[in-house]
Amino acid sequence: MSLVELIDVNKEFKSGEETIRPLDGIHLTVEEGDFVSLMGASGSGKSTLLNLVAGIDEVNSGHILVGGTDITQLSRGKLADWRAANVGYVFQTHNLIPVLTAYENVELPLLLLPMSAVERRKRVEVALAAVDLTNRAQHYPRQMSGGQEQRVGIARAIVANPTIVVADEPTGSLDDDTTEQILTLLQRVNHELGMTLLMVTHDADAAARATRILHLERGQLLENGQPIMPRALRTA
Amino acid sequence: MFTLVPYIVKSLWRHRTRSLLTISGAGVALLVFCFVGSVQHGLFALTENQEAGQTLIVFQENRFCPQSSKLPQDYARTLAKQPGIADVLPIMVFTNNCRASLDAIVFQGMPTDQLKKWREIELESGSWDGFARQDDAALVGHAVAARRNLATGDKFTIGDITVVVAGIFSSSSAAEEGLIYTHLDFLQRARGQSDVGLVTQLEVHLTDGADPDVVAAAIDAEFHAGPVATTTRTKGMFQADTLADLAELIGFIHWLGYACVGLVLSLVATTTVMSVQDRIKEHAVLQTLGFRPFKIFRLVVTESMLLSTIGGGLGVICGMVFLAWSGMSVAAEGVTIAFRPSWDIAIQGAIASVAVGLLAGVAPAWQAARTEIVPALRHA
Repeated sequence: MSLVELIDVNKEFKSGEETIRPLDGIHLTVEEGDFVSLMGASGSGKSTLLNLVAGIDEVNSGHILVGGTDITQLSRGKLADWRAANVGYVFQTHNLIPVLTAYENVELPLLLLPMSAVERRKRVEVALAAVDLTNRAQHYPRQMSGGQEQRVGIARAIVANPTIVVADEPTGSLDDDTTEQILTLLQRVNHELGMTLLMVTHDADAAARATRILHLERGQLLENGQPIMPRALRTA
Repeated sequence: MFTLVPYIVKSLWRHRTRSLLTISGAGVALLVFCFVGSVQHGLFALTENQEAGQTLIVFQENRFCPQSSKLPQDYARTLAKQPGIADVLPIMVFTNNCRASLDAIVFQGMPTDQLKKWREIELESGSWDGFARQDDAALVGHAVAARRNLATGDKFTIGDITVVVAGIFSSSSAAEEGLIYTHLDFLQRARGQSDVGLVTQLEVHLTDGADPDVVAAAIDAEFHAGPVATTTRTKGMFQADTLADLAELIGFIHWLGYACVGLVLSLVATTTVMSVQDRIKEHAVLQTLGFRPFKIFRLVVTESMLLSTIGGGLGVICGMVFLAWSGMSVAAEGVTIAFRPSWDIAIQGAIASVAVGLLAGVAPAWQAARTEIVPALRHA
């Protein structure tokens, strides 16, 4: 069974009188341990697709199964619980909580899980060590560079050992050197921790770090230039 | 929720000027709330207690100010023989100001043995012997002593009357602590010989089971044809009638107390709304991490309650300390309403603070909890 499965997913928005359909009957399967990058033009709907998989946006129709759970059927509260246990989200603009230290930011997702304080501390220390920021644990976001903030964001995304890590243009606001560091870090998260990654990017070099590269064009998902077919048709 | 306390406190500290202004506003409002409450409490204690209904005050008919009521002292002996009456206290009252005043001094002169018997007072300093030995000795209520900075052994003058402080007393009745007791004959002679043999009022203590209305009617009937006609009422009614104008004013100012609570509500609600609007994106991030909408709701309500409770709590504490320290009272026509701190007022203030914080937080918390994540993440 695939880790993530999108079945005939549709998403549309109203823009005045016009209906925009960025996702038009999308099918996708992601296996455990995959590092998938999703490319496409601005406004093509790649972030929308990422948000749907992360459970922070709702489909108009279709199903999204993650680890066997159809998240399109969950209530708002249950979906929040599901996100806490299964999703690590890396934002383009880091989105750290400014009043909390790096340590406290990384600890936040763990506060939602049944876990002792000792276990929490251990996990936060491991996560901060993984992004090489142990010495910055007590620093506030305003005291860190953009690259360091993004590394804290990655530590926050992986600390709860989620089913899938999604990253929305994680290097979009960083310089070349820092972009290289962050992409290397994401690759390590995939290789060394075995975490499944879905990354949105419009940078071809960044996308090349992934094990699979998908393109979203006119509401359709393409892999190697071909539309991705429903699983049933592929097996037939 | 306790694990999120650092986040809540740091969020309030992030806009510390705004938070501190809100806390100080809530504090001042609750201080006024406590002050208003203590005024009402003082009036209620004066007119509604048990003694107020079972003790009668005999006053000269159609007289209101104690300076103008003059009853023959021997009325007391006549009354003592009437059925339903246990004891009669002849009392001379002198006040430096018959009108409503925040610094009126009220002297009551009465026989020492009856003073000890009928007044629940306890000497904090000085002695009963010292009081009994000296004609111009006075026992000064704790509140007056605090207000006028008097100590045992001091000599002070109010109007025509000069007394020596023989003791400072406290009492379970706050109004008592606003009085000065002297010997009856001293007060009768203090302003010349014209008042010898006269008293301002007679305080009648009833036997168990006696009907106050029946006894009061009998007293007035007894003296109707005498040299001075009387008006007799229960002590509670006498005090309520004497303070009628003030009571009306006090009845009105209780709206001020409600206004203070309303002020805290709007102040805390405004601050919380601003805080939520500043953090639309932050709440969306928390939801992305897995915070349930209800948890966001509770975070915002807790912030609001913290602001209100800290401010209100400080206001209540300051109010109680001020009331205890100041010994303030208002007197009119010889009757004193004492403003005293009480647990009732403190608890009401604390409950009001918490409840207002809860109410003020509900609307902004609902707004924060209902935030759509994706549009909010795009929020600048």
